Amino acid sequence: MTIADRNELRQPAYGEASGPAWLLAELRDHLWPWAGKGQPARKAVQGGGFAIAIAATVAWMMAALGHLSAGAIIGWWFGWSVFEVFVRMDAKPYVKEGPWWGRLYRRATLMDMLCYVSFKNLLIGAALFIGLKAAGILQV
Amino acid sequence: MKPPLLTRLRRQAATLLAGLTLAGGSLADTYEVKLPPELSSSPRMCDYAPCKDVMPGATSFSERKGQPPYVEAYADAGGQKKLIGYVMLSTDITDIPAYSGKPVVTLIGMDTAGKFSGVKILKHSEPILLLGIPESALIKFNNQYLGKFVGDNIEIGKSRPEENLIGLDAITGATVTVIAQNQVMMLSGGEVAKQVGILKPVVRPQAKFPPVTTAPGWAQLVEDGSVQRLTVKPEEVGLKNDGRPYMDLWFGYLNQPTVGQAILGKDGYDGLMGRLKEGEHAIFIIKTAGMDSFKGSGFVRGGIYDRVQVRQGGDAFTFRDLDYLNLWGVSAAGAPAFDESAIFIIRGKSFSAAFPWKLVFLGNKIDKETAAKTFANFDREYWLADAYLEGGRPKIVKPDPTWLKVWKDKAVDIGIFVTLLLVISIAYASRDKLVRRSSRHNKWPVNAFKYTGWVVSIGFVGFYAMAQPSITQVLTWFHSRLFQWNWELFLSDPLIFIFWIFIIVTVFIWGRGLFCGWMCPFGSLSELLYKLGGAIGLKRFQTHLPQALHDKLKWLKYVIFFGLLAVSFFSMGLAEKLAEVEPFKTTFLVGILNRSWPYSLFAAGLLGISIFVERPFCKYLCPLGAALAMPTTFRWFGLKRKDECTSCKACAKGCGSLAIDVKGNIDQRECMLCLDCMVLYYDDHACPPLAQERKRREKTGQPLTPINGKGYFIPIKPVPMDKKPQGAQA
Repeated sequence: MTIADRNELRQPAYGEASGPAWLLAELRDHLWPWAGKGQPARKAVQGGGFAIAIAATVAWMMAALGHLSAGAIIGWWFGWSVFEVFVRMDAKPYVKEGPWWGRLYRRATLMDMLCYVSFKNLLIGAALFIGLKAAGILQV
Repeated sequence: MKPPLLTRLRRQAATLLAGLTLAGGSLADTYEVKLPPELSSSPRMCDYAPCKDVMPGATSFSERKGQPPYVEAYADAGGQKKLIGYVMLSTDITDIPAYSGKPVVTLIGMDTAGKFSGVKILKHSEPILLLGIPESALIKFNNQYLGKFVGDNIEIGKSRPEENLIGLDAITGATVTVIAQNQVMMLSGGEVAKQVGILKPVVRPQAKFPPVTTAPGWAQLVEDGSVQRLTVKPEEVGLKNDGRPYMDLWFGYLNQPTVGQAILGKDGYDGLMGRLKEGEHAIFIIKTAGMDSFKGSGFVRGGIYDRVQVRQGGDAFTFRDLDYLNLWGVSAAGAPAFDESAIFIIRGKSFSAAFPWKLVFLGNKIDKETAAKTFANFDREYWLADAYLEGGRPKIVKPDPTWLKVWKDKAVDIGIFVTLLLVISIAYASRDKLVRRSSRHNKWPVNAFKYTGWVVSIGFVGFYAMAQPSITQVLTWFHSRLFQWNWELFLSDPLIFIFWIFIIVTVFIWGRGLFCGWMCPFGSLSELLYKLGGAIGLKRFQTHLPQALHDKLKWLKYVIFFGLLAVSFFSMGLAEKLAEVEPFKTTFLVGILNRSWPYSLFAAGLLGISIFVERPFCKYLCPLGAALAMPTTFRWFGLKRKDECTSCKACAKGCGSLAIDVKGNIDQRECMLCLDCMVLYYDDHACPPLAQERKRREKTGQPLTPINGKGYFIPIKPVPMDKKPQGAQA
């Protein structure tokens, strides 16, 4: 065990799932920051998060249509990432402890969540950014 | 006839302005300097560049001439103008990028005998030359060319007289920059030397073609490489992408009978061959899409087609109006529609279709911010297939790419370095065995590997190989990944490249501690000083910051990292300057005694404090550490803890990284993986719950069973009395 204090351990709502169902639940957990069944969330943060997520999605679509510059989309993605930290701290305040194939989760500190969201969104953003650039849509 | 007074005054003013801007000689002044746009476009290049600096004795200069362009330099000799050499602007000839990904704009002088007479950097974007390497180093490097013949085999590295190779001393810490600069010098000088007759073209054996047996269609010609495609995207020349390519060209070699007849038809081919003299070759080009003309909109009779040329080895073949023939149609079935076409005649015995050659499209890239045009070329290789050459393709030895040469030159260093990384990784992977062999009083089984890692890292990696990873590399790679990825750029520094693979892999497996705590040259130097300080009697002065203060200060490095990242989006140059918060350049690249006092004081101060406080820079300032700490949150394998760690503070008291919190959890982002806590974990004389159990067993006469992976004695389970062994029953 890499955690001394067992009170720090957390179990997400899908923790009991197994096999492909668990993998799908993990994927959904990474892509959907809002509270799921059995997870608490404040409506204001949830609503605000939805609004900003829609705006960020529109920004990516505009980029895909060639109407948004590289700098603008990076700015949008950064802005959404900051808000996602708050959304997750409210709705899913846990991060994985240990290897990605493991089942151990712990309470997320703000720094844990910052690291998680920034790294995850860096990967997603880079994939989208490079994809759009390779398609010749995004101008740099 | 003299030009009008106003024009002369304007030129003189421009010369003065350019001189003030460019002739200052300081590389700091030439970093990302704004050059006059006329420098790359005006026929009178020397009105905007200090040509006299690279051609001593010259009193006047011609207008730009030739393709690629150069100017002639004249001296007054008895009232008459005498040609004394040539001056060229590197970016008129090549766009080879340096470490920054941008070319170093260089003014080059060459006398009529082909010897370099002067070299001057007009503009560069190399951060290392801005802050790390003193400008005198590049001037000294460039001065090595003076007096050397352009046709000599000049490379970076040691001279090898048996191979007729002249070696130039590199600039330590700027290898990539000087390798690129050498390519620029030799290519630019060579191009002009060939044009003016100093260098004779290479004569290649001519190809022989087998008789025609088939009539391939367009698809087959494309498939076997007899027709090639050269596409230039709009963004590659700084234009907005509207879905069309900037230039989409198809081209091929027509002398080969099968190919030529497929493209032109039998009659067309015979007609063309009838017009060609011995040693002349024909190629065709068609444009199937594009925003511009490949012939050039400004082409005039008697002029040169300045947008396309053919290159073979070091020889370039340009086309004049007399080298052009109309191409009315393409016979091959399935050929695409085109809106522009040409047949060009290559004249010169040095061209041979038996060897590979390239069609080069010469473009101008428009800078979005300044609207300035810079030279950019795009090429595509062509080599007839075996079947189209009698006896097949000849064997040729292609020169190694630059990055491969560097790897070969540093093969020994690379071998040592990879061995070091493997040994350290294997040692750390075996940590469970090492810490079990250690005790609180004897940590040598662990420390032997760790201290060896430190010493080799400081001496070999840091001071000798100068392979200290830096946040500037993270920023450069981040931007490159997003904007322009260039593998060659990253491969050109092999030790750094290998180090980063090691860092990325180990951060995800074990966290940043293996690099930061065991292998970072500066971190190792810092902690080694702390250990040495303790060993020479300064232990009583050594201290840790109070945990509460440490817990606040540790965030500073993250602020620095995010600050640098944010600034880099607006100005990489400024971010590079601010990255001087890392004392790595001062310590390893340039030397503490070789830099100006603020940098030296900063680096020396941090190392001085390191004697009394363990790794102050790593804990509180290092932006690279912060960048690596973030993915460390998700490292796969952390250090072990016991339930008792929540109340027992034994490990926390000895943690030099102050990484164990009040609940006994390890902050993996701050942990340097020194393994001290893991030594205690298995030490039944040091770990309180383990020691307690040991004492209890000793007191009750119970045996001390081995300690299991969870850090406890294997429990003794008494066998029930009524359960006798089977053997006894029998």
